[in-house]
Amino acid sequence: MPRVFITGLGFVTSIGNDAASVAGSLRELRHGFETYPPFQKPDIACKVVGTIKGFFTDSVDPEDWTWPAGYEIKRETIRSMAPHGLYAHCALLQAVADARLGEADISNRDTGLFAASGGSPMLTYYHHDRMLKLGPARCSPLGIVASIVGTLNFNLVAAFRIQGASCGFSSACASSAHAMAYAYEEISLGRQKRMFVAGGEDGNRDAILPFAGMRTLSLQTDPALASRPFDVARDGFVGTGGGVVVVLESEEEVSRRGVTPYCELAGWGQASDGYNVAISHPDGTGSRIAMENALARSGISAAEVDYVNAHATSTLIGDISEARALRSVFGEMGIRPAVSSTKALTGHGLSLAGAMETGFCALIMREGFTPGSAHITQLDPACEGLNILRATVPQAPRVVMKNSSGFGGANVALLMRRA
Amino acid sequence: MSDNVQSNPGGNKALTIATKPFAPDDEAALRESLKRCSPSTFEAAVQFRKTGNADHMPAVVIGVIERFVEPDLRSKLKDGDDDLRLIEDLGIDSLTMMEIVILVEDVLQLSINNDELRNLRTVGDVKTFIDCKIRGLPLPRPTKFLPIEHIGAVMPVQPPFLFLNEASVSSTGANGKYKITGQEFFLQGHFKDNPVMPASIMLEALGQLAVLFLLEGAPTEPGRAIGANTIFFTGCEGVRAHRMCKPGDILTLSIKPKRMKMPLATFEGAIRVGQEKAVIAEDITLTFAYVETAIAPAAINGTSQPAPEGESAANPPLRVAINA
Repeated sequence: MPRVFITGLGFVTSIGNDAASVAGSLRELRHGFETYPPFQKPDIACKVVGTIKGFFTDSVDPEDWTWPAGYEIKRETIRSMAPHGLYAHCALLQAVADARLGEADISNRDTGLFAASGGSPMLTYYHHDRMLKLGPARCSPLGIVASIVGTLNFNLVAAFRIQGASCGFSSACASSAHAMAYAYEEISLGRQKRMFVAGGEDGNRDAILPFAGMRTLSLQTDPALASRPFDVARDGFVGTGGGVVVVLESEEEVSRRGVTPYCELAGWGQASDGYNVAISHPDGTGSRIAMENALARSGISAAEVDYVNAHATSTLIGDISEARALRSVFGEMGIRPAVSSTKALTGHGLSLAGAMETGFCALIMREGFTPGSAHITQLDPACEGLNILRATVPQAPRVVMKNSSGFGGANVALLMRRA
Repeated sequence: MSDNVQSNPGGNKALTIATKPFAPDDEAALRESLKRCSPSTFEAAVQFRKTGNADHMPAVVIGVIERFVEPDLRSKLKDGDDDLRLIEDLGIDSLTMMEIVILVEDVLQLSINNDELRNLRTVGDVKTFIDCKIRGLPLPRPTKFLPIEHIGAVMPVQPPFLFLNEASVSSTGANGKYKITGQEFFLQGHFKDNPVMPASIMLEALGQLAVLFLLEGAPTEPGRAIGANTIFFTGCEGVRAHRMCKPGDILTLSIKPKRMKMPLATFEGAIRVGQEKAVIAEDITLTFAYVETAIAPAAINGTSQPAPEGESAANPPLRVAINA
């Protein structure tokens, strides 16, 4: 089976809008949280968001948006985008440059694109409200493709003239991990030589605040305390958005082009809790089986894994479920890989999370460090026995497990290995 | 997305121009709607809304189109060429066309059915279309693509003296093609062992395209139409032949009306072969007359029958200068 490598990365995240600043934030444990102006109202208890800096996308009219210098995007390209479409478009431009891909490498039958996002609640609401108030004749012809789930793949595939496989994935917070996994399969099965995997989320009021109904958002007002996975005082996740793109290529393509990959994507596994629509299984059953399946598929033993980038979002139940799953996969065999959750720095990127954190894992392997799990004052006793890193260590892991879990009890584990 | 433009039931409704006074609130809303258009577009829209004077309309429509055209293509619009094609020259796709329509509807306070848009191919088509809407005139006939069967059915001139294989007719002109087969009877003698399409015949072909325009593209009036048997050649000026045309060449013909006032219609015409100029005629003038619609040739809708053999044989062919 062809091996699969990560050869390019692009980031628009709360902790940086390029690989260098993201690496710096991860190493120094600098978070990307701010007091979010739209949340500063008496009836909104949640105050903090992992904000995207350097972009303005608050308007429902894409022509009002602004973005950092250096990205040339035409009106006809941006008019059908959601805010996260812009983020991911910029990330894809970065990833293309990072992987040193030419135009012919992008637009051909052997290159595909998988994407994941939750759609754009802001634009869905705007266009729908307009339709009901003014009638369908006054609706923007591009309202649908800008708003619905799938907007990310529609836009990127068209803008970059992708001719290979394209698809969107929807498993909530496991979505872009699923996209990564199935992109791996496209190459592994020899159906594609190269895949772009894009994750995106608007990360604005309309995307984040609905989670308040579930009482799952952190109510902390201090940006430095709001997201603290595995801490005993954690009180929910902090929302974030952005766009991240990971380039996967076959071994043959890597050697043909003579590029140095970040790492190998060595395999993956998935399993479902079969338990609750929104609450993870208390014992992390699905997560455990997903990790076991990933190890089996990639032929990597649990003992070889030296870092786990946890899904841990800083929710009360979710972090414990994953801790239990980790203990049963590793701890019971006396293996203690380093564990950290970079969501302590970024916030929870929802559909973006899996791709963003896979990108982080690839980046730290090249940059030569393992990021700590920030903001832990007192470790939750339920995490006992796990090697949760409290500070960054200056060694790169050799084998990384990346966990993702989503609504419905979907769990994905991705395995990466230093190339 | 092929189904982005769907028909609205209901057909074309006559426009009702808003007669309510133009309030400051309206001006603010108009300013917001046109915030990405030039100041002159906004000013023209204000004048139109205040006075209902359709003379302001072209500036509004062009200003709105300009706002949706990529900046590097906008200079093309400045030349005021009505032949600019929306898709090919300005990069406007059907979705952008919808955006333009929605904004025009909003600004000019009119409503446009989707199926009215299908036939707008050029800037001139759009201007004419909006002008008709505002003045409450019947909508111009869309560009029609006429295959040879159709041409043969409506034209008074017939083979072997018909020099059009296909044609398209719009309200602003007509285009056609004719392939010189080498089998044309006159090529046996023009010239000896050297078949060259006579310039006079090429002028005849342009004249035939102008006839087709009069029959299929000229504005109609209630109760009467131009009679096929009333059209004759009267004169031409400024004719220049630039290129010899021989068997195998495909002539691309185009004519545009310059003046039209009963009983005379004057056209300019040109023939190209590929990108090469072959013939230019500055003026081709035809005479015509109206007949009552009831006895005019049936409007073509794909089911018309060719004129009876005897009738067309009785029609004199266009008379052209044959020794050009």
